[in-house]
Amino acid sequence: MNEELDSQLSAMFDDELPAAECELLARRLSRDEELRGRWSRYAAIGATIRAEGGQRLNAELARRVSVAISAEPLPAAVAEPAAPRSRPSPRVFGSRWWAPVGGVAVAASVAAAAILWVRFESPAANGPVVAQTPATAAGAIVEPSYVVPKVIPRRSIVPSTQLANYVVAHSEFSSPVNRRNLLSALMASESGTAGAPAGSEEPTEDVNDDAKSPQ
Amino acid sequence: MSADVSDLSLVRRVQSGDKGAFDALVRKYQHKLVKLVMRYVRNPAEAEDIAQEAFIKAYRALPQFRGDSAFYTWLYRIAINTAKNAVVSRDRSPIEYNIDRNNDATEESYDMQGRMKDSETPEGLVLTDEIRRTVNAAIEALPEDLKTAIVLRELDGLSYEEIAAAMDCPVGTVRSRIFRAREAIDRRLREVFEGGLGRTEDLG
Repeated sequence: MNEELDSQLSAMFDDELPAAECELLARRLSRDEELRGRWSRYAAIGATIRAEGGQRLNAELARRVSVAISAEPLPAAVAEPAAPRSRPSPRVFGSRWWAPVGGVAVAASVAAAAILWVRFESPAANGPVVAQTPATAAGAIVEPSYVVPKVIPRRSIVPSTQLANYVVAHSEFSSPVNRRNLLSALMASESGTAGAPAGSEEPTEDVNDDAKSPQ
Repeated sequence: MSADVSDLSLVRRVQSGDKGAFDALVRKYQHKLVKLVMRYVRNPAEAEDIAQEAFIKAYRALPQFRGDSAFYTWLYRIAINTAKNAVVSRDRSPIEYNIDRNNDATEESYDMQGRMKDSETPEGLVLTDEIRRTVNAAIEALPEDLKTAIVLRELDGLSYEEIAAAMDCPVGTVRSRIFRAREAIDRRLREVFEGGLGRTEDLG
C-alpha cells in the first residue's frame, strides 16, 4: 500500500484533507475494498479509544446495510418520485419561483419595447426631424443651431403645390365659409414658410411625419 | 480546513449513484451511531437494528441532502428519530421483543432472537474483546508523541490545528504522527481478524 495514500486516507478520515484531494480519494475509496477495510479499522480504533463499549466492533452492521441498499434503487432515481411531494426538491422549487418572475420580465420587456417604439416614431421626441421643419430649413433666417428650440414650431398643414392647386380649384364649388377656412389655412401656412421654395420637398416630409404620428 | 469536506465528497458520490461511497460513510459512523442509539435501547443487537434502519433511511433521503449541515449532524437526527420511533413501537407491541413470553413467535421475532444470541455468542464477545485488547496494547506501545496525538484526536476530538497548538508542532507533523499511530495499531489489528472489519461485499 502506498504510504502517501494511507496518509491521505488518515487525514480524510479526520476531515483534514483538502477538498480537491478528498474528491479524488473518495472516488478511490468507494471502489477499493482494501482501502475501505483500512478505513473501517480506523473507525474501530477510534471507537476503542473512546471506549464505546456495549457494541460489536466488527463490520457486521456495515455488511448488513450494504446488503440492504444493494436492492435499493440509486439515490438519483429515488429523487424523481419525491418531486411531487409537498416539499419540493430545490430544482423544482427553483423553477416554480422563476415562473412568475419570468412572466413579469417578459411583460416589462414588451412594455419597454413599446415605449421605445413610440418614442422612435414620435416626431416631437425626434430632434433631427424638428430641425428639418421649413423654418429651420430656411437657413437664411435662422442661424444653424444644434439646440432644440423650447417652443415647438406650430405643426401646420403645408400642402404641396399640387394639393394647393387642387384646393383652390375646388374652392370654386365650395360654400363661402368652407372656402374661406381652407384658403385661410393655406395662406397661414404659406406665411409660416416665407422664403421657402414653392416646389421644395421638405414640407412634404413634414406632412408625412404628421401622418405617421399616432396623435 | 473546512469541516465535513471528506463526508461531502463521499455524499456527492453517493448522490451520483456510487454505493461504495455510502459503505465508506457507514463504516466511518457505525460505531458512533450504535453508541448514540444505545442511549435509547440497552440491547446492542436492537441498537444495531435501529442504526441499520437509520442508515437505510439516510440512504433513501440522501438526494434531498443539500449540505446545509454536516452529514453526521443530519445522520444523527435521523438516528435519534428512528430510535424514538422504535422505542414507541416497542412499547406498543412488547410481545415482539419479549422472547420468553412469546410462545408462537413470528419469523421476525425468531430472527431477533437469533441476533440477540449472536451478539452474545462467545465468538462475538471474544472478537470484540480481542479487538479492544489489541488496540489498547498497541496504543500503550506507541511512542509518547504518537500516543498523545492519536488520543487528542480520537478521545478529545481536537482538530489538527488544535493538536498542533497543544503539542507545539506544525500541523503537518500532527498529520504524520496520527497517521503513524494508526498504522502501528492497524498492523496489529489486521492480524486479529481477517474477514471481520474488512469483510468484503460486492457493491455497485
